[in-house]
This record gives sequence, C-alpha cells and structure tokens, in this order.
Amino acid sequence: MKKWLVSIFMIISLISILVACSNNNEGTSGEKNDNENSSDGPVTVNFWHTMTGKNGELIQEMVDRFNSSQTEVEVVATYQGGYDELTTKLQQAIASNTAPDVAVIERAYVEMFAESEVLADLSGFLESSSVISEEDFVEGLMGHSYFNDQLLALPIYRSTPILHVNKTLLEEVGAEVPTNWVELKEVANKLVVKNGDTIERYGLTMPYDTWYPIAMISQSGGQFFNEDKTSVGFVDNGIGQEVFEYLTDLQSTGALYYPPQTDSGSIANQMFIEGKVGLLFQSTGTIGNLQDNVDFDYVTAFLPQNDQYSTPTGGGNFAMLGGSQNKEAAWKFMEWVVSDAGGAQQYVIETGYLPFTTKMAESPEIQELWAAEPNRKVAFEQLQYAEDTNKSTKWPTVMHEFFAAIEAIMYDGEDIKSTLETFKTAAELNLN
Amino acid sequence: MTKHSYVTTFINGVLKIILLFIFLVPFLWMISTSLQTLEETLTVPPTLIPESLQWGNFLEALSSGPFGTYFRNSIIVTFSIMLIQLIIMIPAAYAFAKYDFFGKKFLFSCILIAFMIPGQVTFIPVYLMMADWDLIYTLWPQILPFMTNAFGIFLLRQYIMQIPDELLDAARLDNSSEWKIIWKIVVPMAKPALATIMLFSFVSHWNDYFWPLIMTNTEEVRPLTIGISMLREVEGIANWHIIMAGNVILVVPILLAYIFSAKYILRAFVYSGIK
Repeated sequence: MKKWLVSIFMIISLISILVACSNNNEGTSGEKNDNENSSDGPVTVNFWHTMTGKNGELIQEMVDRFNSSQTEVEVVATYQGGYDELTTKLQQAIASNTAPDVAVIERAYVEMFAESEVLADLSGFLESSSVISEEDFVEGLMGHSYFNDQLLALPIYRSTPILHVNKTLLEEVGAEVPTNWVELKEVANKLVVKNGDTIERYGLTMPYDTWYPIAMISQSGGQFFNEDKTSVGFVDNGIGQEVFEYLTDLQSTGALYYPPQTDSGSIANQMFIEGKVGLLFQSTGTIGNLQDNVDFDYVTAFLPQNDQYSTPTGGGNFAMLGGSQNKEAAWKFMEWVVSDAGGAQQYVIETGYLPFTTKMAESPEIQELWAAEPNRKVAFEQLQYAEDTNKSTKWPTVMHEFFAAIEAIMYDGEDIKSTLETFKTAAELNLN
Repeated sequence: MTKHSYVTTFINGVLKIILLFIFLVPFLWMISTSLQTLEETLTVPPTLIPESLQWGNFLEALSSGPFGTYFRNSIIVTFSIMLIQLIIMIPAAYAFAKYDFFGKKFLFSCILIAFMIPGQVTFIPVYLMMADWDLIYTLWPQILPFMTNAFGIFLLRQYIMQIPDELLDAARLDNSSEWKIIWKIVVPMAKPALATIMLFSFVSHWNDYFWPLIMTNTEEVRPLTIGISMLREVEGIANWHIIMAGNVILVVPILLAYIFSAKYILRAFVYSGIK
C-alpha cells in the first residue's frame, strides 16, 4: 500500500513538473504576450482572420508589407478557422482574456459582439486620422458597422452576390442578359437542353445559401427581419411565397439546378465553368477564379430585379477588440489597411473582393483593373442597391432555421406556405 | 469440399471483395486525385488513372505553409499523449482489476462517467483553465486534457481481469515487486488490448482538428490537420488536387501506424500464452 502512495505521489509530482515546465517555456516560445514588449522593440498586434489557401497567402503578404513599411508595430496574423469557427473562438477568447487586438468578423455576426459590448468604438480614431475619414467608406458596405451610435467595424474583404453569365451560351440560344425576373425565367428555360428525361444543360444555378433567397426577398420589396426585429414579415405579406414559388417553378422545368448541400458553391462554379449551366448567382469573390478558368465569353451583371434591384452584402468586417492593450498600435495597422495602396487595395485587386472606400475605387490601380476587367466594376456598381435586411443579434440562430426551410422546400418539395409558417414560428421563438 | 461449401466460399469471397471495394475506393480516389492536374479533377466523367503523374502537387501542398512545424507538432502531441496515457493507464487498470481498496467502486464509476461525457461539454471550462495558466500559446493544451484515457482504463481492466491470479501469486512468491509484475507479466499479456488502445488514441489525436484550432492561438504550435485545412480555398474553386495531396500526407502516418500495430496485435495473440 505504501508503494502505491509513493507512485501516486510520483504521478502528481510529474504532472506538476509538466505544468511548471510549460509555464517556463511560455516565456521563450510564447512570443504572443502583448504586455511584454512595451518599452523596447515593436509593439505586437495580434490579428485573427478567416482566410486559407491563396487568399490566406495574400493576407499574409499584406501583413508582411505592413510590417516592413515601419518599425513600431509588428502584426502577427493567425488563421482561426472559417467565419463560424473564428466567431466561436473569439467568444471564448474574450471570456478568458486571450482575445487578439484585431479580428475579422463575418459582417452578420458583428451585431452579436456589439451587443456584448466587447468591440472598440472606431469613430474617435477615424476623426483624428489624417488619411481616412468616415465619409470615405462606401455606404452600401457600412450596413453592419454602426450599432448603438457607435462605429464598431470597418469593411475589409467584402462581397455581394452577382449574376455570372456565359455569354457564348446565351448568344447560341439567341437571348440577352436578363435584367428582371420575367426575362430570367425566359432565358433560363431557353438554355435548358434535355436528352430524353435527363437534363444535359440547365439555365441557372446558385449555391445552397440563405444569401440568394434574401436577395430575392428584398428585390420583391420585402425585408428579412421586420423593422423592430421581432418577426419575419416576408412570410405574412406573401413575398416569401412569391420567391420560393418562383424558384420551385424554375426548378420544375430544369431552368434551375439546385446543387446538393455539401460543397454546393464549388459544384455550382464547376457546372458554370463546364458550360452545363448558363447563369450563376454567386459571390463577387469568385470573379478572379472564374475568369482564369472559363473558355467562353464570360460577363457579370446585376442580380435581376423584381420590383427593384437589391442585393445583400457579405464577407468579413474588420474590428478592434475593446480589451486590446495596444489600441494605438492596432489602429495604426487598421488605418494602413484601409487607406494605403499596399493594404487592402492590393488585396482587393488580387482577389476580386470589393473596393470599400471611394478613394480606393477612384485609385489609378483599381481604375486600370476595371478597364481591363469590366466584370469587376459591375459588382461595385451594384453596391448602390446594397441593403442588409438580416441584421439582428439572433441572426446566427434564425439562419439555421431558414436553412432548414430552404432545405424542405428546395430538396424535399415540401409545401411552401406551411414550411414558411413553421419557419416563422421558430424564428419568432428565437427573436422574442 | 462439397458443392455447397464451394458456393458459400464463392459468395463469401464476392462479399469480401465488394466490402473491400467500398472501403478502398475513397482511398484510391484520394491518391488518384492527388496526382492529377486541376483540369483533370474537374472533368466529367472523372478519371481514376491520371494522364501523367503530378508529383509536384505534393511539393505545392508542402510549400504552402510551415509544414515542418506542423508535422513536428503533430508528432510531439500524439506521441506525448500516447506515452503519458500508458504511464497512467496501466497501473490504474491493474489496480482496478486486481486490488481491493476503499472507494474502488466509486472511483471506477467516476472513470466510467468521464468516459461518457462528450468533449463538447467540457471544452469551454478546459479552454478557460488553459487560458488561465497561460498555456494556449504552447503545445500543452493539446496534451494535458488527454493524459488519461477513461475508455482505455476500462478496456484494459477487463483484459487484465482475465489474467489468472495464480500467475501473479506465483510471481509474488518469487519476491517480485508489484512494478515488476506489471511490466514483466501484465503488460506483455495485455499487448493486444494495449495495441488497440494506442492505435485508437493515435488515430483520434492525429486527426483532431477542432480541439487544436480552439485550444491554441498561434501557428507555431498547431498540428498538421490545421495545415491541411488551410489548403482549402475560401471562395472560388477548390484546388482538389492540392487538397488531396495534403490529405495523402496526413493519412500516410496513420496507415503506417495501422500496419505496425496490426502485426503487433497478431504477434501478441500468438505469444500471449492464455486461452
């Protein structure tokens, strides 16, 4: 029995040694401790983002350009998962005081953080800035930046859905680029090629996402959330019915191909590239990629209007955390990103995201790009119709309910009216 | 052989081949895609045999990030977990199997409960604890929470209970210490169970993505899975050939571990001396 006591004691001491070791290591390997570098050397600013692959490399290049442009601030950029993962991670990090100084937050999640009052108000910084002011930002992209009269986020990589068109196919069937829902239905049906019962070519496709139905709701004069954010009015006023009837009607003739849930964006893009579909609703973020891969006449256009043109926006916003110890240094980085030609402007040129300040849009570099690739300009012009109607702290939960409704209607052929009613009940439960 | 048994053997064989095929195809697909060009991965109907082997995909996948660091971290984390688990699990299982002591039932039910609580329930308190100890910039949060393995203790206990007490008593008569009994008798006899537990432990921690992503804040301490996930394009066209090359790199150590431990399990069965 005594021997057992000894071995238990040994295990406990082993554990404590391990823990102690790691604490010591932390000083040398944990270069991310903000407070350590206050007096000499550059101030470290931690920046969390959501970009992987080529876009992730471009973000890193942007940060490297900033770091080599000056010696006072050293930005450390870290990928923290996709938008949802970064949000989860940030919530925990804030609770445990390990949050970064600056983070990219998906624009629809900003309000959730705003409500918890954990983001820093940027208006003071902007007022005292000599290179950028609030008025410089494109209005259509600021829908998710102001909360309770505070400016809590700035755009960084933002996109909108637009219509991508295979002009070659359209000419083949003698059709023009559709500008409204009536024309869209006509053109999409014209594009369909059937071989017996199998459809070889579809008219239109779009990823499985809430973005596109939301766009269509506001194109029909509706809003996703009511003004007071207690309900989803588009169910009662029949607009939801109209949108989904239109979509299922297209689907029934093969004019709309609704791709499977998993990887729907990639599938839709690939079908478009292969000419298996003539029209594609998809993010502006894909323009660069599509342009490189298609071998037909490829153009972009506004999303077709119903009663009016309208589009939601998406992508990442830039926010400073209220708990940051290095706010001045963090702002220095943010200011550089939004105003310098080597900052987000270069990133925008390389990726296909939207220029978000008027200065950026008017810059010779962007003007030159637009002259060479007019497809990029269309997306920017569409911003005048940008309208975000899904602003609510409850959006992340309501979003899942809405996904379930889309799924029931588009995949399982459930009755539109009753599905939307069910959705409304679930949404109201969350909202009130 | 009778006619009947020929038929059953035949059906057996066919079923096995079908099963093998079901499990093998995704693997072959992954390897094939990892050796194609992007254009080839997009063609319909898809090709299983690449036109020309694109070994460069692997280089491209490896050069897209600090893969040396990721690899090192994965190795350190998985092997530390396995080692620490062994150190804790074997004496614990032995004590539960062969000793009677006060509170044994209670302690054992605690272990069973620990084994039933899903990680999602505990990850926020664990994160806060790790953050409190300033550990989320190190490899520790990927190791510390997994030092014990409740399932392993349970499985090993069942296994050790089968070892006849007479064998242990005989050793005690020869003045063997309890440690010696554990290392010389119990461990060799429990090899199959140990190999199984270690393989499970290796695969699950080698493949873990969410935990290291949540529990660490810097690239320097993150494992291979996160490196591979960063090959994914955010918007636009997925570079399937590069992603699959990354996945092949990720899977190879698991295959090696499996081949190694499968041999070990067989050998342990042959030499175990019981049954």
